[in-house]
Amino acid sequence: MSHAVEAALRSPVSGVHRVSFVALTAALGAVPVLVLALCHSASAEPLFTLPAPPFELPGLPPPSGSWTVTIGMGGEYRPDFEGSKHSGLSPVPIFSIRRAGSIEQFRGARDSSSIALIDFGYLRAGPAGKFVPERKSSDHSELNGLGDVKAAIELGGFVEYYPVDWFRARAELRQGVTGHHGTVADFSADVIVPVMPRLTISGGPRFTWKSTDATATYFGIDAAQAQASGLPIYEAKGGAHSVGVGGKVAYRINPQWQVYSYVEYQKLLGDAADSPLVTLRGSPNQTTIGFGASYSFDFRIQ
Amino acid sequence: MRCVGHCAGLVAVALAVSLGACGTFAARDTRLQAVKTVGIISAVGDEMNVTSAGLTGLNNTNRSLPIGSWGLDELIVQQAGTALNARFNVQPVSYRRAAFAAITDSPIRPMNVVRGDPFKRLVQTEVSPQGLDAYVVITKARSSAGSGRYVEGIGLIEYRTLLASHNQLHALYEIRVFEGKTFKLIEKRAAQPLDNPEGLRLAGPSRTVDETFAPGNDIPAQNERLRAAIVDLLARSLATTLGDMHLADAH
Repeated sequence: MSHAVEAALRSPVSGVHRVSFVALTAALGAVPVLVLALCHSASAEPLFTLPAPPFELPGLPPPSGSWTVTIGMGGEYRPDFEGSKHSGLSPVPIFSIRRAGSIEQFRGARDSSSIALIDFGYLRAGPAGKFVPERKSSDHSELNGLGDVKAAIELGGFVEYYPVDWFRARAELRQGVTGHHGTVADFSADVIVPVMPRLTISGGPRFTWKSTDATATYFGIDAAQAQASGLPIYEAKGGAHSVGVGGKVAYRINPQWQVYSYVEYQKLLGDAADSPLVTLRGSPNQTTIGFGASYSFDFRIQ
Repeated sequence: MRCVGHCAGLVAVALAVSLGACGTFAARDTRLQAVKTVGIISAVGDEMNVTSAGLTGLNNTNRSLPIGSWGLDELIVQQAGTALNARFNVQPVSYRRAAFAAITDSPIRPMNVVRGDPFKRLVQTEVSPQGLDAYVVITKARSSAGSGRYVEGIGLIEYRTLLASHNQLHALYEIRVFEGKTFKLIEKRAAQPLDNPEGLRLAGPSRTVDETFAPGNDIPAQNERLRAAIVDLLARSLATTLGDMHLADAH
């Protein structure tokens, strides 16, 4: 039985050498485990055994048994902020935990963190959330005078559908609860091709829609900002936000080690693309290149 | 050397946590110590699922083939009984196997929390004799088999990639122990994966096999090698799982 007590954290961070608090915490938390893991020869035996927890939640499966932890580190070369024409390299910590033996579900580079509460296998749905790092005007000269935009947390849900094993369509709908209070909808489709048992290539189109509140926060320019930045006043409205394409290659070297790389391109559309921030100081073409390596090991709960 | 030092420190911390949590084992162990008579129920081996995964065609559905004549459930009861006999008085029980085999998890996961463990009611109503100290219930378990697909119980996955294909046998099951008077769940555990570096890593016993193991003409019962391979998976994993549950001596 695949009890999906599963959590995943892949947190791309904005700006060069900047790491979000959550990501940093996860990375630091993983360090002792990583040390222990690297001391351990790669084998199918559990790395260590933990005692059973002092209580069990009624109705939920007990955590006893073997679990697989995946830790790793990657990098992401991405625009400094959405609409920027400059890019920088950011670290991306990798951490996930799942029942031993359960196969990691396919995950696209743009997917938000999510949990499938409804899971037919071919159809999965549940809550989703995304953390959007703050945008500090002092970090980038193009943003001078525009002020800071607080970090945003977007909460919502996702649905994904596999008509066949090698094709996934996914939709996310999220509402900003901090940072901005707009609505964001992401749509993606991926063809997932297992070239060999250890090598998988995937890719497909992407589309994002954003409401006025979600767009104006990052691309609108009010009178005060216009005066301070030298950019013209601009009222950004919602609508089609971006269209793009992405691809990913993942290679499992052995049961423990996996490496991956991906490219995501998106072209800003509508009022986001027409914002003076983009037309005068940035670019509508946004490319992200990511890479990383992860190590998996098992532990057991009595 | 520095690495060894770090490891030693971490092991010490883990040991301290373990010792501190010893009290938490008491409840489970106490309940097991009170158990003298045990009945074993198995509902794993009535059918074999043949699944195509990976690069599949558009019209791809699982095939379910009957293997009841292999007597896998009788074998499981016998082997589990042998393992448990060292500690418990194992008594034969009768039950309606189909009722146990028909239980599946709801795909709406919160529903599984709300409805509780469905096997608890079955042990109360479908098993005789009642009144034993505990009942060990062995049923099918489920595992993800790649994106968008689950497999369960006894089965064979035909996994196709662009350049290579392989077949993988699986015997996925989980074991519950119910207290015989209150029918409270004492312990539940799924059989763990065996060492199988090749192929898909499923959440239970599995091994890659060649094409001679494929159930030809949809009559798997005629393939003796197939049966032997599944019996091997069950035999190797059963003793380990029962040992992990403190029901039998491991290995």
